[in-house]
Amino acid sequence: MDDPPLQKIAISGPTLASLIQRFSTSPSAIRGLLFGHVTHLPTTPSDDSPSTVPTLLATVTGFLCSPSFHESSGDVIPSALHPHSSVLGWFSARRRSALRPSMRDFSVTSSLSSLSKFSTSIDNSNLNLKSNSPEQPSLFPPCVFLLLASPPFDNASSSHVHTHEYRAFQFRTGAQWFEPRSLDVVNIGPAFRGHYGAFIPTSSLPALDRGLCGSPMDDGGDERLARMKQAANDQRELDGCVEGFEVGKLSRMVGSDARSYTEGLEELYKKMLVKIQNLTSLVDESSAMVLEQENHNRKLKHKIFRSAAASE
Amino acid sequence: MAAAPENVPSFIAAQLSHLLAHFRLTLKVDQMWSADKYNSGPFDRFSLLIPYCLDFIRWDVIFDAESPNAAPDVIFGPEDDNFHPFHMPPSPESNNNCLSDWNYKDPSCLLTLIQFLRDQYVLYQRKRVEEVDDERLKFEISTILSREGIEMYTGSNAEKLEEVKFAVPLLDMNINNMVSCCPWRYSQKIYLQVVYPVGRKYTSVPSAPRLKLVSSPELKAVFSIDDVKLPSWVDGMCLAEYLPNLEEYLGKQVLEAVSLIEVRRQFIEALASPFGRPIEADPIFCRKATFLCASGVFTFLVHFMIPSQFPKQQPAVMLQSSQHFNSQMAPLKSRLISDYPWSPRWEPLQMAERICEFLADEALNFKRQCSEGQVQ
Repeated sequence: MDDPPLQKIAISGPTLASLIQRFSTSPSAIRGLLFGHVTHLPTTPSDDSPSTVPTLLATVTGFLCSPSFHESSGDVIPSALHPHSSVLGWFSARRRSALRPSMRDFSVTSSLSSLSKFSTSIDNSNLNLKSNSPEQPSLFPPCVFLLLASPPFDNASSSHVHTHEYRAFQFRTGAQWFEPRSLDVVNIGPAFRGHYGAFIPTSSLPALDRGLCGSPMDDGGDERLARMKQAANDQRELDGCVEGFEVGKLSRMVGSDARSYTEGLEELYKKMLVKIQNLTSLVDESSAMVLEQENHNRKLKHKIFRSAAASE
Repeated sequence: MAAAPENVPSFIAAQLSHLLAHFRLTLKVDQMWSADKYNSGPFDRFSLLIPYCLDFIRWDVIFDAESPNAAPDVIFGPEDDNFHPFHMPPSPESNNNCLSDWNYKDPSCLLTLIQFLRDQYVLYQRKRVEEVDDERLKFEISTILSREGIEMYTGSNAEKLEEVKFAVPLLDMNINNMVSCCPWRYSQKIYLQVVYPVGRKYTSVPSAPRLKLVSSPELKAVFSIDDVKLPSWVDGMCLAEYLPNLEEYLGKQVLEAVSLIEVRRQFIEALASPFGRPIEADPIFCRKATFLCASGVFTFLVHFMIPSQFPKQQPAVMLQSSQHFNSQMAPLKSRLISDYPWSPRWEPLQMAERICEFLADEALNFKRQCSEGQVQ
């Protein structure tokens, strides 16, 4: 069975921006996985030609740079992916090359989209199912491909404008070809109000090990204890993040009572700002450390290749 | 081998020079550049021009200077977005090996890869041509497919498709072996380019294909295909009928052209009797010879340019003074002279003597022109 066709692919502005930032600061090409969800676009019921136009929308909400999820032949290594994760597709960003899928892009996409166990489930909930409409597929294979490139020959090479181009494709596993799809960049603004109206504030959190359910009297008690401690620590950290934002408190902030809680609201915003500031500095510090480590790794790698070349 | 710029990492330069030196066709590197916007980083990507069907296809080979042990990636031409060399239906020995066994220390890896890709490209184009909906074309393919080495090419867009190109290697003879001390690195071949107009369904009789002979430029030293008059294509003819006549005719022409090398050699040897030993001569194809002469105290060089159609066509002669120079200190030369008395039926010795007689007068003219500054 062929996979369901997409009408278009959407990506939020910040996600695209951070992808491009990652691309332009990386010393070489990057590639990795795309995550997100698949929903149905609202259809206009007046039309009498049913179900000829695809209504599926794939929204990219996150990405993970991962240089090693495939072999050099392009075959995806399933064990390199998280066993229970759902993947929307992947991206490849290579500088100064043509904006066309390359030989490897094809191999990787073809291999990845055949791995149906990483499929994303399609949210069929907001679909007004007509009684005669065929059964909707419930799974969407990882067949989205986002290609980023910068032009190989920039006319204004002396200028400081860096051009980054991108194209989105849905890989059709039946015909084995890249079908170009328009990429909607979801930004803030009146044109995108619809998107925020339909926004679902859920995202899959990293799979934290909730090892608390088992009995501590089991075998391997030490290990289990350590894991429990780790889990408790993780929980504490998460609790710390939401401190002051308890659901009960938040619920008072909306509705008719909200007017009398302006002070509380201001306090809440203040706390939020402080938290964001803390988070920013944390991210900043860790980014610096990552960069340092990356540079270190590069130096080591070059050393190895130099010594290998010299020993020949 | 390759004129690789200095900032090409050694692991790429080694692969590339091995490829250029050992590929069975003449490859060209069109451009090399770096991943860096200002082109200041190591050059790790290049465009390769690969001969195919008497034209070139252009593939971008993308290495990554940051990960030398990774196999390169290839971006094919914009027309070939359906070319997936590692995913083609009949793949008996799925040759993923050259990518998964990539070893940057083995300089032959790139050669293996490009060879595999080009072989797959031949199959890919053939399949595309076979899919073209044209009765005559289908018939032509079925009748000539047994010939080896035919390459086919069709443009990308099936709707706008107007023609299909064939490159048919002609003559099962090894021209390189026929020339003694042959200097050619690549085997010389003559091809017939056949361009079929397709997709014009409203015409009842398919129009004649465009025909053209093509050879590598080196072959011109012995045999110029421009001198060949192609047999005419009769309406309703097919390629399988046309080729045998053409090959027979062409085969005779090539044999004659090769035998003419010996005739030119005898002529140069005959020139030695009135002019003395040549100071320079082309010993393989015998197309050029230069002699040092004197008329009184005036010393000059005589250059002979001998056409491949010799003795039917007479040699062109040019005089070059050893005593007169222009403002750039280049020696003065006469025009190319090819209107002196000549008969192809003369014996070589008689040819040489008649030229010598003619030059005795011409030298005086040339000397006068040199002193008066009439020549450049």
